[in-house]
Amino acid sequence: MTRATKTKVLIESSDVLPLVDIEIAFRVGSLQDPIGKEGLAQLTSHLMRRGPHGVSAESFEERLANLGARLSVDTAMRSTRVRATTLRRNLESLIELVADLVWRPAMRARDFAKLKRHAQAALLARLDDDQTLGAIQLRERLFAGHPYGRSSSGSADSLRRIGLQDVKRFYARYLEKEPFIVGVSGDISDSEAQSLVRAHFPRRTRKMNGKHDVPATRIPRGRHVVIVDKPERTQTQLYIGTLGARTHDRTLFPLIVSNTAFGGTFTGPLMQEVRAVRGWSYGAYSRLMHSDQRDAWYMWSAPSVEYSADCAELQLDLLDHWVDEGLAKPTLKFAQQYLTNSHCFDRDTPSKRLESRLDIELLGVPRRYVEHHDELIAQVTCKQASDATRARISPRDLVIVVVATAKNVQSAFEKLPGVKSVEVVPYRA
Amino acid sequence: MLDPRKRDAQADAFMSSPNVLIERLNRGVTRRNARWSFVGAQPFGAALEVRRFHLGNGLTVLTLVDRSAPTVSYHTWFRVGSRHERPGKTGLAHLFEHLMFNETKNRSHGEFDRLMERAGAEANAATWTDWTYFYENAPKNALPLLIELEADRMSNLVLREPQVRSEKEVVANERKLRVEDDIEGRALERLYATAFRRHPYRWPTIGWMKDIRGFTVDDCRQFYRTHYAPNNATVIVAGDFSERQALSLVQERYGRLSAARQVDTAPRPKEPGQRSERVFRIAAPTPTDKLLIGYRVPPFTDPHTLALGVANELLFGGRSSRLYQLFCLDEEIALSVRGAISPFVDPGLFEIWISLREGKRMDDAVALLDREVARLAEDGPTDIELDKAINQIELSFLYSMETVGGKAEQLGFYETVVNDGRTGFERLEGYRRVTAGQVKRAAAEYFRPSRRTRIEISENAA
Repeated sequence: MTRATKTKVLIESSDVLPLVDIEIAFRVGSLQDPIGKEGLAQLTSHLMRRGPHGVSAESFEERLANLGARLSVDTAMRSTRVRATTLRRNLESLIELVADLVWRPAMRARDFAKLKRHAQAALLARLDDDQTLGAIQLRERLFAGHPYGRSSSGSADSLRRIGLQDVKRFYARYLEKEPFIVGVSGDISDSEAQSLVRAHFPRRTRKMNGKHDVPATRIPRGRHVVIVDKPERTQTQLYIGTLGARTHDRTLFPLIVSNTAFGGTFTGPLMQEVRAVRGWSYGAYSRLMHSDQRDAWYMWSAPSVEYSADCAELQLDLLDHWVDEGLAKPTLKFAQQYLTNSHCFDRDTPSKRLESRLDIELLGVPRRYVEHHDELIAQVTCKQASDATRARISPRDLVIVVVATAKNVQSAFEKLPGVKSVEVVPYRA
Repeated sequence: MLDPRKRDAQADAFMSSPNVLIERLNRGVTRRNARWSFVGAQPFGAALEVRRFHLGNGLTVLTLVDRSAPTVSYHTWFRVGSRHERPGKTGLAHLFEHLMFNETKNRSHGEFDRLMERAGAEANAATWTDWTYFYENAPKNALPLLIELEADRMSNLVLREPQVRSEKEVVANERKLRVEDDIEGRALERLYATAFRRHPYRWPTIGWMKDIRGFTVDDCRQFYRTHYAPNNATVIVAGDFSERQALSLVQERYGRLSAARQVDTAPRPKEPGQRSERVFRIAAPTPTDKLLIGYRVPPFTDPHTLALGVANELLFGGRSSRLYQLFCLDEEIALSVRGAISPFVDPGLFEIWISLREGKRMDDAVALLDREVARLAEDGPTDIELDKAINQIELSFLYSMETVGGKAEQLGFYETVVNDGRTGFERLEGYRRVTAGQVKRAAAEYFRPSRRTRIEISENAA
């Protein structure tokens, strides 16, 4: 339940296991990164993670581990979340330590220098992961020049431009004095959680700033292929994407149902045609993402190099068919049953229930999406689902990213229907 | 008239004694295969209890009632993995992980998945060296369907050419995804192929590509007949369910199945001792060098693995661990370091993965590693380090059981590898009893260069 204190505290109690999660969430993320200094929000939260004043980074880690605790800091586009999990018996000591970390971070120059070198090394390590390479390239191309296209980790160049003063200013502006939300879940009572938060966390009187003003997203017209050229690939990572939905779209739930029917289940046509019928890829699915502005919709598969372009063509045909023909009633009903019946797994643990509530407070997800999920799904008609698909998913305007050894696939991808451009970029670019 | 739900609750309360329950369930049942016996109950943590039953055909059933969410997890663990294969037929156990989702004598192709998805169930499977398991996480009212479909595919699977051909292609693609184009996957495969020369752990669970391409329908049929039977399986039901209803349905569906005449429990060839370090180099398109090291260690059931588990936590567990501090923070030689003990029935490896920073040398990393493990063998851990390690192990263990699926997985693993699903918490107690001296001795005995295999990955491997 939620209490009307100055600081919003969300609590989900369960005594099945002697564990407690605590989460401090801020409505600030990589969308606040200044142009040219992408990665600043993440560097700031990671430097904060290195420990509070008066405690070395090493001693801080020791203290955490001694408590049987884990701590992570996650920076997304629109939020920063500090999450800690601990054994129930050590909860109070952990809360004290976490509060100290968040509101009295040391922000030492020595730690910052190390952190920057670590962040640069992590960017390099990403080159080993083909699936991540494809996903990053898809967003960069789909949202070219838009904040949604930036990686929260930044780039080698942008990280080089960030100094310790940038980080300190970012912390002072967005985290130090801004309102925050606290979530507590697990083996703890409502009153105990409230009193711990009151005892250890500062009060905020200002209201949370609800909106990040982000311009509307626009899709490049036509079908554009980008080949991320990596040597010695025996299979390929294939992403085909276009714009998806806004969180507040009236057609969001019809589109969720429609996408589930198309590529959200094992028995949907995308997985069946690609994997079950042809055996071309270990998996194939489509994902619908939503945010303040239209986020991405995309299909993913990992076909072998010899039939990668054939697989892309098949997926384009399936996409055309889905958008043109819409959904048949039994297909719609099946997707609705799947979504409502499996919804219990979005709330089967206290930490998941807490996450849903944090999404409402933090990301502006309408409360009814969580509280009336099953009704919203059940109300969708065939016509609504088909109309929403046609209105939102454009098979003409697509970014097609393939991570592959370019010489083995380029000519086949150039022949795909409707392709306007093909660009090859080295994987280390 | 009494509400059926209330009637169920009353019946459950009356029959909460498992002996009373099975006595009722066995009334009038003459077929030996379908008669229950109760083996025992044991607390599972502070709040729960796990119960163990046997069906006459050899099926073991573990139940764990946990009503914290309206969900149920249904696991079927088979004692068959890549160790039960032979050269030329590697990957067959893993192929079965795929084939089991196909047609049965009672259900057409694709029906299994359609019924599961319609019910809101997540159905999947996993295979490793010593086991294969199939699981469903589902809303609680789907339990009868899960029991029906799992019992059906345990004995009625139809194996024909088109399905086998299609799944072979899917697995070949999976191999490319997870092994051939994946640096860590390639390195792991090479590590076990180099460290083991006689034992089946030397081949990969997914199988060699040539073997995957060569499987026939007959290979599959023979494998199915040998390994997929109630007396080679354990069913785990965890979550919000009526034990009476579950056991009654299991009795009805599985009680018709016959035990396999002979289950493959033969010991595998013993791996000869390793006398010197083995090194293998892999060239791969990667911007930084990587090291994968495997020290030969005893089987998971060996008491020494408790001390090794604590040593693993001290050396690699989180950011305060000795090697993370040294490699990633102090010397900045690596981006990440990880350690893990292979939880195998037979002796396996203590694996160490080091992802180096750009321009850093593998020799320097190995020298640092040798220095640190020698220090552990010489001085052992401090009392504070021991407490910290045990707290972290406890946290990981509890965390893995947050969902009913996690609890069922723990039960299935311990049942299959340790022969008693209820021993997870006992193992946690075992970790608490580990002394500094034991960690010191384990480090001295097992972390010797002569016991290890080293895989070096770099862009320009010679």
